[in-house]
Amino acid sequence: MKSDKVLFNPDGSRLDGRGATDLRPLAIRAGVLKRAEGSAMVEWGKNKVIAAVYGPREVFPRFMTDPYKAIISARYIMAPFSSLEEHNRSGPNRRSQEISKVCKHVFENLILTEKFPKTMIEIHMEVIQSDGGTRVAAITAAAVALADAGIPLRDIACGVSVGKANGKLVLDLDKTEDNFGESDVPHVISPRTGEILLYQLDGMLTKEEISQSYDMVLEASKQIREKQVAALKEKYESALDAQNGE
Amino acid sequence: MRTIVVPGEKVADEPRQQDEACFADSHGTFASVVSLADEGRVIPLKGRYLPILGDYVIGIIKEMQLTGYIIDLNSPYEARLSDRDCREEYRIGDVISAKISSVNEVHDAGAMEPRAFQGGELLEVEPVKVPRIIGRNGSMLATIKEYTDTQLFVGKNGRIYLKDGNTVLASLAVLKICREAHIPGLTERMTAFLQEESKKVKKNEE
Repeated sequence: MKSDKVLFNPDGSRLDGRGATDLRPLAIRAGVLKRAEGSAMVEWGKNKVIAAVYGPREVFPRFMTDPYKAIISARYIMAPFSSLEEHNRSGPNRRSQEISKVCKHVFENLILTEKFPKTMIEIHMEVIQSDGGTRVAAITAAAVALADAGIPLRDIACGVSVGKANGKLVLDLDKTEDNFGESDVPHVISPRTGEILLYQLDGMLTKEEISQSYDMVLEASKQIREKQVAALKEKYESALDAQNGE
Repeated sequence: MRTIVVPGEKVADEPRQQDEACFADSHGTFASVVSLADEGRVIPLKGRYLPILGDYVIGIIKEMQLTGYIIDLNSPYEARLSDRDCREEYRIGDVISAKISSVNEVHDAGAMEPRAFQGGELLEVEPVKVPRIIGRNGSMLATIKEYTDTQLFVGKNGRIYLKDGNTVLASLAVLKICREAHIPGLTERMTAFLQEESKKVKKNEE
């Protein structure tokens, strides 16, 4: 979709002042909920997402039990107050059901499900405030929540979107760039191997742009993973600091 | 040197299969849960209990059936207890200790040697911390018993039964172990903590 809207400042920076490959400010905290086995909160620019993980637990409904591995249930949902328009009704809709499904496939490739046959792992991702790129923010949060819950993982997934605005590739699109740019591609990758876990192309990109955007994601995933690891380590190291302070 | 490793972090260059908290591929061995890496060993900091043959566990009767009971094990899996192995009848909610007598490949467990607990208190902690609560040859448990006069029974599934003596101090000690198990010098810290707290208790009694 082409639009006449100008998405760059006269000095070449993006509307919020970022360069083409800059991420929005990202803050991650692990273990924010006491009742959940694992939880995390991500504040990414204006996005706010809480993820909670329950299980492995008994499968419900029971007929869905897999005797060889754990099944994953993922639920992505936006709070009715999360954005300025559209999401004014609570509950699942067509969009959130689709995103829940793709998130489920991400985690099926990430969790060592064969370690827990006949069980179910529930992942809840709740978008409290949204400003473009919520699915990648939700997956980034859920990956930390899974690690916090002690569920065996192959890697901590990192998500970030790349897109084209006014003919130029930009990293980590916000709502304006998403809505008025030519293309938006959420990527989720496993930074350890560089494997792609989620790739949803919306709009058009040339072959060169696709490989260029993947390189941008790979570079950004280093920064995101650093924040994710720091959040997990902080939880245990804070006990160490308290000890040293005594 | 002890370091905290996160899922996907390399712990060894060669593929090793034996570690519970790891997985291996042709590139090496990687941690799969948040763990403490210490001289090649990988000790998980969090994880669920999986029944293992011969474990002594503390279970709660969850369901009564014609031929026996189903016991909740603080785990994704439950254990079956046959009527033939029971010398008394139990009711739903009863807390018992039992030994895991059989486990199959999908973690379905059988239990035997049930013994019901009367009175006392039950504490649930992370199952991965149980070895630290027990200590080497039961040294940590002995320390807690010495200062609190509490009878402790530690189930491998992370349930701890406490009876008599100063159960409040014993529970606090157990929770402190769970919080600080990954920090070096735990034994000395626990002895100091128990000494100090039991002094306070004595003062209050006087």
